[in-house]
Amino acid sequence: MTMMTGKDYIDSLRALSPEVYFMGQKISRIVDEPMFQPHIHAAAMTYELAHDPEYEQIMTATSHLTGEKVNRFTHIHQSIDDLVKKVRMMRLLGQKTGTCFQRCVGLDGLNGIYVTTYDIDQKYGTDYHERFKKYLLEVQKNDWMPSGAMTDARGDRSLRPSKQAHPDTYLHIKKRLEDGIVVSGIKAHITGAINSHEILTMPTRTMGEEDRDFALSFAIPADTKGVTYIFSRQTNDTRRLDGVLDAGNPKYGIVGGEAIIIFKDVFVPWERVFMAGEYDFTNELVETFAGYHRSNYGGCKVGLADVVIGGSNWIADAHGINKASHIVDKLTEMIAMAETCWSCTLACSYEGYRTPSGAYHINPLLANVTKLNITRMVYEWMRLAQDIAGGKIITLPSEKDFESPETMEILTECFAGKEGVPPMDIIKMLRLIENMSVGAGLPEAMHGAGSPAAQKIMIARRSGIDRKMELAKIIAGIRKDTYFEDIIGKDEAAHWDEVKKKIKEKKVQIY
Amino acid sequence: MFSIGLRYCGGCNPQIDRSRVIRNLNKGLNKRGLKVDLTTDKERAIDIVLLINGCMHACLEEEYRREGNNPQFISVKGEMVDDRYVEEKSIPGFLIKKIMNLFNT
Repeated sequence: MTMMTGKDYIDSLRALSPEVYFMGQKISRIVDEPMFQPHIHAAAMTYELAHDPEYEQIMTATSHLTGEKVNRFTHIHQSIDDLVKKVRMMRLLGQKTGTCFQRCVGLDGLNGIYVTTYDIDQKYGTDYHERFKKYLLEVQKNDWMPSGAMTDARGDRSLRPSKQAHPDTYLHIKKRLEDGIVVSGIKAHITGAINSHEILTMPTRTMGEEDRDFALSFAIPADTKGVTYIFSRQTNDTRRLDGVLDAGNPKYGIVGGEAIIIFKDVFVPWERVFMAGEYDFTNELVETFAGYHRSNYGGCKVGLADVVIGGSNWIADAHGINKASHIVDKLTEMIAMAETCWSCTLACSYEGYRTPSGAYHINPLLANVTKLNITRMVYEWMRLAQDIAGGKIITLPSEKDFESPETMEILTECFAGKEGVPPMDIIKMLRLIENMSVGAGLPEAMHGAGSPAAQKIMIARRSGIDRKMELAKIIAGIRKDTYFEDIIGKDEAAHWDEVKKKIKEKKVQIY
Repeated sequence: MFSIGLRYCGGCNPQIDRSRVIRNLNKGLNKRGLKVDLTTDKERAIDIVLLINGCMHACLEEEYRREGNNPQFISVKGEMVDDRYVEEKSIPGFLIKKIMNLFNT
């Protein structure tokens, strides 16, 4: 097994030739395109840190298939410890990139499909799981980054996939051949898609019998014939073409670099098909994947919080206000919220369980609570970062003005902070805070891994509210409380009759 | 008479009503005329252990394995029995079948 370094990963992308469009143009060499490079660097960090002895404990794992060391992003979780290390890895990478490093979607897809194919085979006697294990071996052997392609274009949300006006609104099987299937359709918002080696697809929702051909999971190389990518826009994205400073995080970008993937009559050989019509397992695959993925957000976004909290404290110090009580209070609020989300993701990992496949899954209720908190708290801690940083984060002149001989001196003076802090460092930090708190990262925290309503559905479904009603009925005295009767040594009704009698006869000392 | 040792997890936040599962198991065994003694007495000799974990995390099973106990056991863990997903209402029936197979009745 060869674990790639960050540079190896970037070089490996050169061997691929995906058909990518951006701003109406076909982009032939994505690795060399400044618009895409920050995202590629962020994903490269998932490779690079695996080679650092300081981080290898969480960045690598032992493959259960071969017993060899692999990058954890290709690993199937074999224990609670693996689940915990997975979220520790997410926080670490958030800290090192300050953005989305993209590779977790494929990791969660690998684990979700591993769990579900086992269960499909148990019911139907199919061989999806063995096929998938062979594919997984390839992923581990080559240290591939598969993109996790789940969300379809979806069209009219009130209609089922098979009832949509355009048949390609959801990815589906067009033909079943002896040696494989032919698929068409659209996947949307796919993180890291253009800089992945493979595409790993999953259904986006629970399918019914009439949607049999939409119950589909497979893997193909990223540059397979018939696959086209349209790279999405992000807030302030073209600042990357204006220079370095204005982009805010020029090295690693802003969120994941999403793309629409169009599949047009794409052939997939059977050995790479992991679900083809088993609609009764779509719910399991969606929920298993979503559980893993939602748990991640309590890791990666908290890593980002570490960066923005550090940045906010630094800027407050540079402005000479970091000892002000309101600043300390805001920073403390930010830390408390971030660590609350971290507690959630640790809890859902420690409360995980062994699935019939042998792979471990997180506690789904707690994973959904984790993500629901993220949809709110990221906005709140970023709001506080903006509050601390001040209005400058949205009014700063451009890098070009700071470099222009006519304006450089006055601007540098204008944006100076306390003595000893270089003004351009202040500008760099303000731009980073702007990048992290104003841009696409916020709605990504809202909708990535599913919108809040999706989490609430799962929370409601798994909360055991009937049992909570029983608990309340017992405490309220509607249902018999046997423990109480044991404590008082008599029937509950008799006990209250005695108490009432005592009160009536004024045998209670307080009267 | 067969004897089954019942062992319960701590029951902090069970997904299933553990007492109801055991009550219905007992009823079902009696209905089939199977003479099985369900006991929580840890000193008593038993034929097999039934672990009743309230949820899939299965603290009890983890502890039971870690302590190197008798590997022959059936483990209920929320809506899962051993390595099968089983709805709560079907757990007693599922257990009865397992027990009958084990004791060849």
